[in-house]
Amino acid sequence: MKPRYLAYIILLLLIMPSFAHAEEKIRAAVAANYIQTMKELAVEFEAGTGIKVEATFTSSGNLYSQIIHGAPYDIFLSADEDRPNRLYQEGLAEEPFIYAIGKVVLWSAKKDFCKTGDWHEALKRESVKKIALANPDIAPYGMAAMRAMKDTQSREALQGKLVIAQDIAQAFQYASSEAVDAGFCALSATLTDAGKKGCFFMVAQAPPVVQAACVLKGKNRPAVSRFALFLISSEAEVIKKKYGYR
Amino acid sequence: MDLIPLYVSLKLSIVTTAVLTVLAAPLAYGLSFLKFPGKSFIEALINLPMALPPTVMGFYLVTMMGPKGVVGRMWESMTGGSLLFTFLGIAAASVVCSLPFALQPMKAAFQKIDRRLLENAYVLGLSRTEAFFRVIIPNSISGIAAAAILVFLHSMGAFGILIMVGGSIPGETKVAAIAIYEAVESMNYREAGLMSLCLVPVSYIFLLLVNKLNREEF
Repeated sequence: MKPRYLAYIILLLLIMPSFAHAEEKIRAAVAANYIQTMKELAVEFEAGTGIKVEATFTSSGNLYSQIIHGAPYDIFLSADEDRPNRLYQEGLAEEPFIYAIGKVVLWSAKKDFCKTGDWHEALKRESVKKIALANPDIAPYGMAAMRAMKDTQSREALQGKLVIAQDIAQAFQYASSEAVDAGFCALSATLTDAGKKGCFFMVAQAPPVVQAACVLKGKNRPAVSRFALFLISSEAEVIKKKYGYR
Repeated sequence: MDLIPLYVSLKLSIVTTAVLTVLAAPLAYGLSFLKFPGKSFIEALINLPMALPPTVMGFYLVTMMGPKGVVGRMWESMTGGSLLFTFLGIAAASVVCSLPFALQPMKAAFQKIDRRLLENAYVLGLSRTEAFFRVIIPNSISGIAAAAILVFLHSMGAFGILIMVGGSIPGETKVAAIAIYEAVESMNYREAGLMSLCLVPVSYIFLLLVNKLNREEF
């Protein structure tokens, strides 16, 4: 290829993103427990309004730190109330609202894992060598699971078995690929196709995970407000229910 | 398969390669031909990203480029926007981290040039700058090409630094490596497999090219 043509191609490649900016879209920072739900919500919202929602998924703590450092998100769907509240108090976000309440479960890819007993007895079995937990410092679901372990006095006994994942989706992936024997996951994960292949215990001692969202300061375009309203609408409710959220 | 992350990767690699090929040549020249105090200290400093974990580089870049950092504040006063979590931000990070990979092959190529050629050029009245463009560059083309390919591959392969500096914003900073990581995390193994499969032959062919270029030098 002649260098001249190569130069043209490179130039074209560099110009291309300006097309992508033309259509209206929303950038959402979304906690990892909400991946499947968010994907369905985005499809539904786009079908209704023609507005595209592009989501970035990772732990709430990770997203929070990105937002503090100026990440260009329009809306933040956290897996806790604390982080959106902090952003609000720091003047970085509009007033938070609750969009979902999730539950912590203990999930295993092995069907006979959940046949007897309850979750903390199951974890103490000899055969259970590794348990996935989302990093409690940055993942609210991991923190809720940690609290349940403390409440049942099983934390010390399990300490050596815990494998720390970066977020709740990774904890589920570890459990699903059987890299670990079981993992603390979100109830929503058990309702996906992959999740239905295994079994789970409810972790009753873990407090319900109250998830709040906030529109970020200065990003309050009509499209974004519309999406915020959509999150708590009855159309969204149907999808949320499907994944076990209240 | 979502092609946008591959496109972002490609764009990042092209930008990094273009910037570094231009930027590293004079640097390599300075380090090969000029004598100045503190030269080895500067060289070690430039090569530091090669030896440090990406998280260390990521940490420093995030602090420097953030809204409270020196570079971040300068950038904001100039453009009004943030540098972190943008394409330009990851391009800057990529340039810093790939610099050693451009510098080493170029320096090696420059040092292999027969000094008599250069002396002849000076005797014939060429200035240092003219000699750089008319003697040094043409005689080390394969070294420069090897440097460009290495930088290209290194930026295609970057992950840790990009996730720290860029987050994972679709169409902007979500490169193929990050998209693959996320696809695995959300158990979308088909997507992860397809995207990985795209990267393997590209990297392999480019590495073959580097080998060929290196052999031609002798």
